[in-house]
Order: sequence, then C-alpha cells, then structure tokens
Amino acid sequence: MKLPPVEYEAPTTVADAIDLLAEYQDEASVLAGGQSLIPLLALRLARPAMLIDINGIDELSGVSVTDGRVAIGATTREYVAEESQTVADTVPLLAAALPLIGHEAIRSRGTIGGSLAHADPAAELPAVARALDAEFVVRGPAGERVIPAAQWFEAYLTTSRQPDELLLEVRFPAAKQDTGTSFQEVARRHGDFAIVGLAASLVLSGGVISDARLAFAGVSDVPVRAAAAEDLLVGERPSAELFDEAARRATEDLDPPADLHGSSDYRKTVAAAVARRGLRAAAENAARGSD
Amino acid sequence: MVDITLSVNGAACTGSPEARKTLADFLRDDLNLTGTHIGCEHGVCGACTVIVDGRAVRSCLMLAVQAAGSEVTTIEGLAPDGGLGTLQQAMWDSHSFQCGFCTPGFVMQAAAFLSGHPDADEQQIREALSGNICRCTGYQSIIDGVLLAAQRNRQGATVNADQRSDNGSNRG
Amino acid sequence: MAAIAAERYTGASIKRSEDPRILTGAGRYVDDIKLPGMLHAAFVRSPMAHARVLSVDVSAARELPGVVAAITGAEMEAMTAPGPDALMALMGWAGPMPEFTLLATDKVRLVGDPVAIVIAESRYLAEDGCELVEVEYEDLPPVVDAAFALDPGSPPLFANLGDNIARPHSRHEFGDVSATFAGADLVADFHIDVHRHQNVPMEGRGCVASYDADPGFMTIYAATQSVHVTKIAVAMRLGMEPDKVRAVAGDIGGSFGLKIGASREELAAAAASRHLGRPVKWVEDRGENLTASGQAREESFDVRAAVSNDGDLLGLDVKMVIDTGSYPGMGAMVPDIMEAMLPGPYKLAAMGFESTAVTTNKACYVAYRGPWASETFVRERVLDLIAKDLGLDPLEIRLRNAAPRTDPPAVMITGRPLVGVTSRESLERVAQLVDFPGFRRRQAEARAQGRYLGIGVATFIEAAPGPRTPEAGTGPMGNEFMRLRLEEDGIVVLFTGQMPHGQSHQTTLAQIAADEFGVPFEQVRVVVGDTDVVPFGLTGGSRSATMTGGVALHGARQLKAKVLDFAAHLMEASAQDLLLTDGHVWVRGDPASAIAVSEVARRAASGPFGADVDAKLEVEATFDGGEGGWSGGTHCAIVDVDVETGIVTVERYVAAEDCGALINPAVVEGQIRGGVAQGIGAVLLERSAYAEDGSFQSATFMDYLMPTACDVPRIEIEHLETVPLDADVNFRGVGEGGMIVAPPTVVNAIEDALSPFGVRIYEQHVPPARILELIAAADLGG
Repeated sequence: MKLPPVEYEAPTTVADAIDLLAEYQDEASVLAGGQSLIPLLALRLARPAMLIDINGIDELSGVSVTDGRVAIGATTREYVAEESQTVADTVPLLAAALPLIGHEAIRSRGTIGGSLAHADPAAELPAVARALDAEFVVRGPAGERVIPAAQWFEAYLTTSRQPDELLLEVRFPAAKQDTGTSFQEVARRHGDFAIVGLAASLVLSGGVISDARLAFAGVSDVPVRAAAAEDLLVGERPSAELFDEAARRATEDLDPPADLHGSSDYRKTVAAAVARRGLRAAAENAARGSD
Repeated sequence: MVDITLSVNGAACTGSPEARKTLADFLRDDLNLTGTHIGCEHGVCGACTVIVDGRAVRSCLMLAVQAAGSEVTTIEGLAPDGGLGTLQQAMWDSHSFQCGFCTPGFVMQAAAFLSGHPDADEQQIREALSGNICRCTGYQSIIDGVLLAAQRNRQGATVNADQRSDNGSNRG
Repeated sequence: MAAIAAERYTGASIKRSEDPRILTGAGRYVDDIKLPGMLHAAFVRSPMAHARVLSVDVSAARELPGVVAAITGAEMEAMTAPGPDALMALMGWAGPMPEFTLLATDKVRLVGDPVAIVIAESRYLAEDGCELVEVEYEDLPPVVDAAFALDPGSPPLFANLGDNIARPHSRHEFGDVSATFAGADLVADFHIDVHRHQNVPMEGRGCVASYDADPGFMTIYAATQSVHVTKIAVAMRLGMEPDKVRAVAGDIGGSFGLKIGASREELAAAAASRHLGRPVKWVEDRGENLTASGQAREESFDVRAAVSNDGDLLGLDVKMVIDTGSYPGMGAMVPDIMEAMLPGPYKLAAMGFESTAVTTNKACYVAYRGPWASETFVRERVLDLIAKDLGLDPLEIRLRNAAPRTDPPAVMITGRPLVGVTSRESLERVAQLVDFPGFRRRQAEARAQGRYLGIGVATFIEAAPGPRTPEAGTGPMGNEFMRLRLEEDGIVVLFTGQMPHGQSHQTTLAQIAADEFGVPFEQVRVVVGDTDVVPFGLTGGSRSATMTGGVALHGARQLKAKVLDFAAHLMEASAQDLLLTDGHVWVRGDPASAIAVSEVARRAASGPFGADVDAKLEVEATFDGGEGGWSGGTHCAIVDVDVETGIVTVERYVAAEDCGALINPAVVEGQIRGGVAQGIGAVLLERSAYAEDGSFQSATFMDYLMPTACDVPRIEIEHLETVPLDADVNFRGVGEGGMIVAPPTVVNAIEDALSPFGVRIYEQHVPPARILELIAAADLGG
C-alpha cells in the first residue's frame, strides 16, 4: 500500500500556506499529523496533486487562554493538549476525550486541528467541539472568519472550510463553575473509533441542571447535538428516570448508518445506553465538583 | 525528491527520498535499518513504531521528509552497542516473543511508555500496548517482560546474563 | 577436572537462542532481503468477484519510467508449466481438480484475483504501474454463498469442473446409526454455523525469487512452512529440474498454516525473475493478505444428537457443508479430518457424517491452525445445549460422556484408540481450579444487579501426533528426518526440515539434543531453512514436538554412540566404559581421563584412519513417532456480557492441558496463549466479511479486528501429568490446541451469561450487535 505520486510543499508561514491553497484549491490536501490522511493516501483513496505540510508553521501550535476561551492552534499535537494543565483546568470535556483518541503513538503526531478538519463523525474531538459550540478560525485569501461548530460540520468528512482556507485555531469556551463532564464511548476495542460516543457536559446550580450539552459521535455523518434531550434536562434535578427519558429523546430521531459493526438499530440502542451512562457520570462529576 | 538530514540512532544521516516515501520505508530501504517492520501500512498494527524526538510514532504514518531535523531511534539503536538494554533483557527472560515480527514495534512502544510511566501497573501497560498487535503470544508474556523491566529499573538490578532460567523470571 | 554436573535442559524454560536477534532488530525476514539488481513486483487485482476477462492492456504500464515489465495472465501461462495446486498434489488429493492459471486469463474468481504482474524498480513504482493497466471485465453472477453454489444453476467457477462442487457429497456411518437414534430417549436437532475468518500472521506472504540464467539456477528466498515444499512447487510450475532450484528461508513472521508452499503470486514472481534474469521481490501488503491470501472455517452443520435422559451422548449425525472459496486450498480435505475427530474423547455408539464442499467467489480456503477445529466447536456446543435441555451441569455431562482410560484403551467410533487420553483428569482439574459453586453464587448476585456473568467449559483432544497406527510413517505428514553432525569445533549441528515461524525450534531441539548427546546447550546449533542442506520436512499439524523432538532425541543418541565408538579408539578404552557429559568424553570412574568433545571432533577430522574406524561423526536419523499419543485438555472461561451494548469481556481464562512431557514450559504456554487469543478473536472480533455481490468488506485492520492486549486476559495454565506411552519420546504437540478449544469455551460462557434471557447460540461469531439481536429474538420467543 504505497502512497501515490504527489507534490509536496512545507510552507513556514500561514501566508505561504494560503497562497498554495489558493493555487491548488481542492487538488491540495493539508498535511498536519497525517494520522488520518496518510492511510487514505496509502489506500489510494485520496489522490491530491499537492500535499501542503503545515507542521513547520510555528504560529499554528500552542494553547492559550483569552476572554474565557481556550484557543488551541491547529497543529497542536493531541498529546500536548492531553498534557496541558490549561486544558485540564478550563476545558475538562476535552481533557476527558483526548486519552480516548486512538493510541499514544497516534496522539504523538495527530493534531487538534487535523482531527477537526478531517471531521470523522465517529471521532471524539468533533463531538466535543459540537457539544461545546467551539469556534473554528480559518483564514483564506479573502481574509479571516470564525465558524461556529454548528456550521463547521457539513457532511461526512466534509467541513465548511473552503478549499483555499486554512484552519488556524479552534476556540473552546472555558467550563463554568459546577460543570461536570463525561466522555462515554462504546468501541469494539480499547482505542478504536467509537461505535457510539457521547460528549456530555452538565452544570448543576444548587442541585438543578442549569446547562446541558450533549453531542454524539458515530450516529450520523456528522456529530449530532441532542437538543431535544438538552431542553428536557435544563431546570430538572438529576435522576435515573430523568436520564432514561433524556436518553429516549436523544435517540428517538436518530437514523445511524449501518456498517460491519452494527445495524442502524444497534447503534440507536447503544446510543441510548451511552446517553444514560454519560449523563449519570457527568452529573456525578458535577456534584463532586461542587462539594 | 527532497533532501533531508536527520539523526538516526545518534548518527547524522542524509537522504533524498521522494516526498511520498514513508519514514518506515526510508529507514528500511535507504538506511538499511530493516529492524523496523511493516505490518499494515495504515497505522493500526504498530509494528513500525519508532521513537521520534522522544515520542513513539508509527513510522508508516510519517513521511520521511517530515523527520528532517529530528532525532529518530529505531530498534537497532535502543541498546548499547551489541548488547541488550534492560527492557530487551527482561523480555528475553520472560519469553516475550515467538515469531518476532511485531517485536521491534512493541519494544519501542514499551520503551517510550516506560520512560514516561516507570511505575505503570499491568492494566496501564496493557492499555498502552493495546495499539500493537501480536498474533503469536496472546500478549501475557510481553506484558510480563515490560513489568519485569519496570521492576528491574526500579531496583537498578544488574542483568543476569546466564542462559539458564530461574523459576521466576522465565515463566509467562 | 572438577565433578561434572549432569545438566538437564529438557523440561526447563531455557531462554531462546532466537531472541537476541529478534529483540535487536537483527532478524532477517523476507522483506529484509536486498539483492543486487533486485526488482519489485505488484499485482493488478480484480475488483470483481466473478467476471470474464475480455482484455488486458499493459501497454501504458510498460511505458511508465521505472517499470521494467508488465506480464499478463496469458504471457505468464506461456512461461510456466500448467499444474495442480502444490498442496493438493502433496496431500494426494484424488477428487475434483480445478484447472486454473497463475494469473487470471479468461476469468476472475474473487475480488483480489491477480490478473497481471508489474515489475519495477520499487514497490511504489510497481503499484503506480498497476494503476495504468486497463482490464475489461464482463460481470458474471457472483456465487457468494453455499446455497447458491449447491444450486446446479449457479455459474461454475471452473469450467472443467462444470459445477461448484469442490468435493462431492459423501456419507459415512460408524456403528448402527439408525438403531441408536431410534432407541434414544431424545433426539435433538441443531443447525450450527462457523464463520469465515483467517490466519493474519503479522508478516504476510512473500518471496524474493532470484534466477541466474547462467547456469539456469533459481534461488527462492521464501516465507514458508517448508522450504522443500516451496522448492518442489517452484520447480513443478516453472518446469525446472528440482536440483536447479534452491529454497532458503530465514526468519518468518508467523503463518498459522497460511504459508504452505508457493502461492500463485509467489510462483508468478519466480517466473518473472526467470523471464527477466533478475531477482524479483514480492511481499504482500495487508490489503492483499486480508483479501486474497486465503481464509478459513466457513462451515455449516446440521446436527442430530441422540441422547439418553441421563445425558449420555449416544450418537451424532452430522451433515456438513464447507465453503472452500475459489482457488484450491485445503478446504476439500478438511471434512475427512473433521469426521475422524468429531467424537472427541466421548463414548459414542454411532456416528453418521456427511459432507459436501463447494466453490464460491471468495478467497481460497487455507489451513488455519487446527483446520478441523469446527468439530470441537460443534461437539462442545451440542453438549452444552443438551445439558441445558436436560438440566445437567456442563462439567457433569462431559465427565459422564468422556471415556475412562482402560486397558485396552477405548476406541473412538471412527477408529482411533484413545490411548493415554487425560480428558477426565483435565475436567476434574478445571473443577478444582475454578470454584464453580462460588461462581454460581457470584453470578446470581450479579444478575440481581443487572450484570450478566457466565462460565463455559470445553474439552478437546488433538492428534499431535496421535496414537501409533499401522499407517504411521507414510506420506508428507509421516516420518521425520534429521541429520546430526559433530563439527570439528565441537558443535553438534542438527539439520532439520522444520521451518520455525515462532515455534522456537532452534531452542527446543537444542535442549533435547544437548541432554541426549551430553553437551552444554550452547554447544548445539539447529540449522533450518535451506533445501541444499536440510532434509525434507514441514512444520504443521502440531507434529514437531513428537516427530522432531523424537528424531532429535534418537539421532543425538545415535550420534553419541558413534562419537564414543570413535573416542574409544583415541582413548584406548571400550566404548561401553565411556561417558559423554558436559561436553567431555571420559572413562567411567576416571574423571582425569576427560577430553573435550571438540578435541574428539578435531581428531576425527584429521584422519586418515583404518577401515575399521568410522571417523565420520554424522548420522541420518529417522523417527516414525514412536508410540505417539494425544494432546488435549479442558478450558474454562468466565465472561461478563454488557447486555446494553453487547460488549463481552473475558474476565478469566483457565486451561488444564496435557501435551505430554514438556520440552520448554514457556514455549508450550506461549503456544497455548496465542491459540486461545485467536479463539477469542474469532468469537468476538474477527470476520472475513463479503457483501452479497462478492465484494470484500474487511480488507483493512479497521474492519478485520484483531484481538489486542486489552481483549485477552491472563490465561492460567495447568499442565497435567501425562500418561507416558513411549520409552523415550513423550513430547506431544501443542501448537493448535488453544485455537481448537477456545471458541466453544468462550461461546459456552456467553450462552451461560445470557441464559436468563433464554438465549441459545448456534454460531461462532458473536459480536456486540449479534448479542443484542440474540437477546431480542429470545425475548420474542424466537
């Protein structure tokens, strides 16, 4: 499974990268961590004319906090984010999801921006981004824009990034006080993509749920916010019955894809189980935090 | 072709690989370091694991050109000249392997993991190595080798070079 | 010299001689080989499961810079000799023999069927070249399941066969089947399916073929379980004299039955090398390995069991259909072995067995670790199903039916004597090692909390090599050969046709020879993997412990006698008064007389000697297996089934096993654990999946899921005291047992976990989605 012939450039500035993207448009693939792209090339499923390797653009890497948001540069390695105290302290849902991404060697090279730009609906980071309404900062020849997560994920492996735009950074809101989070995943084996995963974040104010965010991985061609379930939860006290009902609401309209690992119905069933478990864990998390 | 310079097992190396050539193929073909093995070429089996700038990576998922300026350690460079390091000796003592094809990837991944987690317990070691596939052993003997190495590192024990086993260390 | 210690290597977990090179990346696998002028091959492969090939245009490929040749199926035919599949010919197959070409010519018969070979300066360029080959196909209806293959209306894969029957229906009866069934209290009917899965060694198939036009000699560097089989296959297909072909193998990254001789691709690479007069390397990638190297175990069984109300299994009547895929492999031969082994260690009064083998547009059926294993799956599932119907405990029903060891021994209804079988002991040992009543209490408590734990057992025997029979010592799985030589430097060299690919022969055989001959372990070297130098041999069928261990033992003994005879001349003593221990020859009672074996060897090499002195310190030994014997045991698994997601965790796994005398306990345990891991993988994770149109769906490791360190628990192994049958050689094989008995062990445990739901499991592959389906169906009374 050898990679097909491809041209290669390794720009050192964002401007140079954008120039290349402008020139090659959808004939170019951006190469960051390579953990998703290189297998596609090896299988000759992706045939870009040009690989734009952005690992040498220093300004694209790093974790910083501004205005109550954590900005993570697109080429920040997953392991760097995993080890970041800033991330652990301010975006606990992201911190919970990161160790579930593949295996350590994948996280050595894989990047936050790469995973989110690749947008595999069964991956962990897209669900986290969707749950937290993360913001995607892209820049192209026409300038810079900020895309909310709800508009970022368009279809299977497809984002709203234009072919001549480069993802610069992703901004995650800092978790409020009394937030409890959980990332639940059912996978065939440790480290596999989720059959179904759930990014869950609850805020408990005086024992009452004041904020609820739930996003599924693996149930559609994009990560899915369980808005109906969120609406049900806000204003209520955590209970097994509440979470059962929330799980029902979260999954009743799902139409997950069928594949080798399970039918559509199977995924729906698992999604409900994951929702119950995720809500329970997030609530326990929140309760612990407010002790 | 892209000219690159990198350090491999402590020695400066140069090459002119095509951009599309993986680090795994560059090590094996251009540098004749055939200890790094290719098991799947899509980043799942871990047989190609090497250490780049202190981190375990799957060399089939890196382009050789991306390793320019980096320090790469392969299985050939893990131990002092001609010898076995503590991890390798512990794996020998533990009968860790059978056909040996997955071995370099396991050794490099375990070495990287232990250097960051010297007191890891069995479950943590299993999870850390769950991205490396072995078809021969059922993993137990590999885990035992890693546990033994960790224990010896803690004890600073000297290696027993005797071929004859004692009851404890050679059991799976 | 000081008092000589009597060291005993056999039975100890001696560290492996293989490991220093394995652990430092100094192993030499076929893809590590580089020869001057070497080229690389890749194959154009069919995207269709079943199609006529209308045209193949390689012209664009030939134009690509770096491509040296592109050879079509027709061109390949012209440069090779037609012939049957090498393995089938070797095994003496007398049934339907499909006619086929190395590369597809008139039609393709599976997704991945090689259609053309492209040879280039690098594998990268060869794959680029393959993309430029244009093939026109005309779709044919795909034959993707046995039902259609059995239909005379299905398009035959092989024109010369005329239908898709790889082996015609046959039926054999043992004992009085109809009377046994007529007189039974209960006759139970089951349909049991075993799914397609595959070997997946970490190293795929591959070779470097190097043809030297002057003097017309082919050297083939192979990954194979037998260099001699490879040599013969290459010689046959290339129409060469066997003495013009040499097959060499170094380290091999596993095989489990896959790499058995020369596949179509390897033979095509060899032909290409001869055509070009340059070395050609072909190493398959993982996609090729999963798609086209071969698969196994797709078998379905209609089973009738005749049972007494007390749980005696009186008779079995089994109708089997085996899906052998497309090109010939060993599938058509598997029913015979299954039939022979189906009774296991149980006292059956009668057995009927009928089988049909079909061809389908899927990968060919290859030998996979215990190719007959489904007989144990069927038998051990049936016992549990009957036990449930009768309210019996699974251990109880097995103890009831396992033949006690008698003298003369009980005989399997299919003919083989159960001499030395310790099945009863293994069941009793498992009952000691696992607290069954304690587990039942824990299970009940867990159920009350909505957690579903289960326990399962299964018993098996394996003919490794099996008891002595009149036919012993004939055919390719017959006698074992070894040449042993004392070299001038005092090293005892063992030349064996065994081809280790993880079995640690270079260690285990040296242990035996060192003990028997009388030198330190380090003074023995085992030579493998060169047809110029080793006798015929084949690693497979769990034979080597007995056959090769035995020939090493007896050969070392014979060599020692020769050495002592020669030394007697040197030392002016009588050979009967000489001892050989710790690498020295000495006169009994006179340690000061000791001389090093190396000195004896040096003297033997510096002749000449008189006609009455035999100074050639070498023997050619043969061993027919001695009394042989059975391996076997009982395994037990405890599982935890998450009934909301279908995820199964194997919490505990125990094996009580008997493989005779142990040569190297660590090696034995490694073999068992690896086999059990494959069994767990088969049940929970692995499936070679085809869609209805014959397209292959598990061509990467993202879809063909291999068990990892988080899927296989610690496997506790108890070695049972064996019943020695032979005066000297009581080592028995253990390579396949784990994989044979683990699948029913795990499935039995899963069914036990789900018994509150009334689930019955009639299949081997139970992934999470299937677990939920089974629970839902049982709830509905299905």
